[in-house]
Amino acid sequence: MQQNGSTGQTLDETVLVQRAVGRDPEAFGRLYDMYVDRVYRHIYYRVGNEHDAEDLTQQVFLKAWEAIDRYRKTTSPFIAWLITISHNLVVDFHRTKKDEAYLEAEVLAGDTASSPEHTAEASLEQQRLRRALLQLSGDEQQVVILRLMEGFEFAEIASLLKKKEGNVRVILHRALVKLRDILEAGGR
Amino acid sequence: MEKFEDILARCIDDIKSGRAGIADCLDRYPSLREQLEPLLRIALEIGEPADVKPSPGFKIKARVQLMDEIHGRQAVTKWPWSRYKKQTKPGTLRRRYSMANIILVIVLALCAAGGGTAYAAQDSLPGDALYTVKLGTEQLRMILPGDDVTKAERALSFAERRIEEMEALAERECFAQGLALAVGKYGGAMNMTLTRMERACNRGLDAGNITARVAEATARHLLVLDELWDKVPDEAKEAIERAMEVSERGRQNALAALAKRNTVMAAEMNLAAMQGRLNRVRARVQNGEALQIALGQFEDMARFGQKISQIAQETGLNITEVAALVDEATSRHLEVLLRLYDEVPEEAKEAVAQAIEASFRCHERIVGILAEMDVEVSQPPVIPEKTRERVKEILGWPDPPGPNVPHGGVAPGPSCPSCRR
Repeated sequence: MQQNGSTGQTLDETVLVQRAVGRDPEAFGRLYDMYVDRVYRHIYYRVGNEHDAEDLTQQVFLKAWEAIDRYRKTTSPFIAWLITISHNLVVDFHRTKKDEAYLEAEVLAGDTASSPEHTAEASLEQQRLRRALLQLSGDEQQVVILRLMEGFEFAEIASLLKKKEGNVRVILHRALVKLRDILEAGGR
Repeated sequence: MEKFEDILARCIDDIKSGRAGIADCLDRYPSLREQLEPLLRIALEIGEPADVKPSPGFKIKARVQLMDEIHGRQAVTKWPWSRYKKQTKPGTLRRRYSMANIILVIVLALCAAGGGTAYAAQDSLPGDALYTVKLGTEQLRMILPGDDVTKAERALSFAERRIEEMEALAERECFAQGLALAVGKYGGAMNMTLTRMERACNRGLDAGNITARVAEATARHLLVLDELWDKVPDEAKEAIERAMEVSERGRQNALAALAKRNTVMAAEMNLAAMQGRLNRVRARVQNGEALQIALGQFEDMARFGQKISQIAQETGLNITEVAALVDEATSRHLEVLLRLYDEVPEEAKEAVAQAIEASFRCHERIVGILAEMDVEVSQPPVIPEKTRERVKEILGWPDPPGPNVPHGGVAPGPSCPSCRR
């Protein structure tokens, strides 16, 4: 499969996306096949249990179908767009629950999912980091997740968030400074 | 002068891509060392999330339900997602391929040294000169070390490739020999998958995941093949139908193996596949041939549902949960089929009637099993009387197919002709 310019999408995927934007359910079904694992992984990491991860994953694809016209206007990879929808749903989910147990669950999710080689100390650091991540603003969380966890380029994130690339860098800088302050205040 | 955020971003890019280490970046900007270092360390600590995967059962059911919603319809069945949660957990990706991958890399490197043929062959399609090289590379991969589960996974990945090749051929409108070859090779890869899967089960390996994965993959293949069937010209449809048969056989074998470990999940996946067929029927209600094929597949799946019920009876695993699932799904399937019966052209009514009967039999089988086992259930599975009346009318049954209710429910009524068979 060939890569399609800077978006990192394959040509096959580009065709599927075009067809899906044209309201072709089968093409959208294929995109689901391509990305359901990654969307689920992203959500599972943030909600910490299968039940909610499955529920939210379904919602992501439904929302994506409903809003697929809007994807037309962006140049970011389709998966980045799905991750953004996932992010918004997870934020809503936590806001609705307003339940500390869920924050706790989110922290634990990463812990249980980490590889066995990780030391207990490393897990603790990861937990603190994730807890600190939850204290960032929506934009900051999104930039940190898209760049540092999901590996998207600044240009792709900028296109997705409809911001200038320079602004995205500023947000990342601000987010990392906040994380440093939160971690230091917590006695890192 | 370069802004701090740009320097930070470049350092993160360089470190993440492996072009530089933290020390290199700090050496590059000594005056910013104090500011940069803690931020870079935090950035590096935020890595990729662990590779957790959704269960195959969820994937296929969610896909079918998504298609339902997309087509603007009420889902035929509302899935009780949590029913088999305790039986399966999303597994972290096992790194079982390390030695196999090393050998593969060596093999590919040797091939590449011979002119990069093997690498170039990876994108080839049936009918291309390099296609035999591609298949040869796959055969090599099959003889690499690994247990039966690993080999079943490899063979399944080859079957997936064959499906992709069929799609690519259809896209290029190459329907002659290429498509038939891809279908033939798909059959080969599926056979290999099933053989390895069965061996894994027989040898007592942890085969629960691979059976569910094969069942999910083949159900997904069927959905892709639907689309291909619509796309290809008439002379190529037969090849696609053969691939559909292979896929369905693989799905049933995998589900039968899965049912011995997790009956509820197997039942749910089968009912989801049936729902997928009903979606197909509803989407192609005016296309007689597509309608007949999808209804035939639905019938086949309904009959297979009886086999799952049988396994549930033999193993005694979650029989009441399976019964509740079948009951709920059948009531909804029958509602859809009865509506369809009125909508389809006259020549298709017989096929719909057969699907109705198959669905009804599947339900009666599970009710019969509950009665035989004298299982006590709080809510006995019963198809609504109005639905039964209509079924009776369409199938021309003399007596009302009364509910055959197990212990704990209301008194059993006369059974339908199908239950006596």
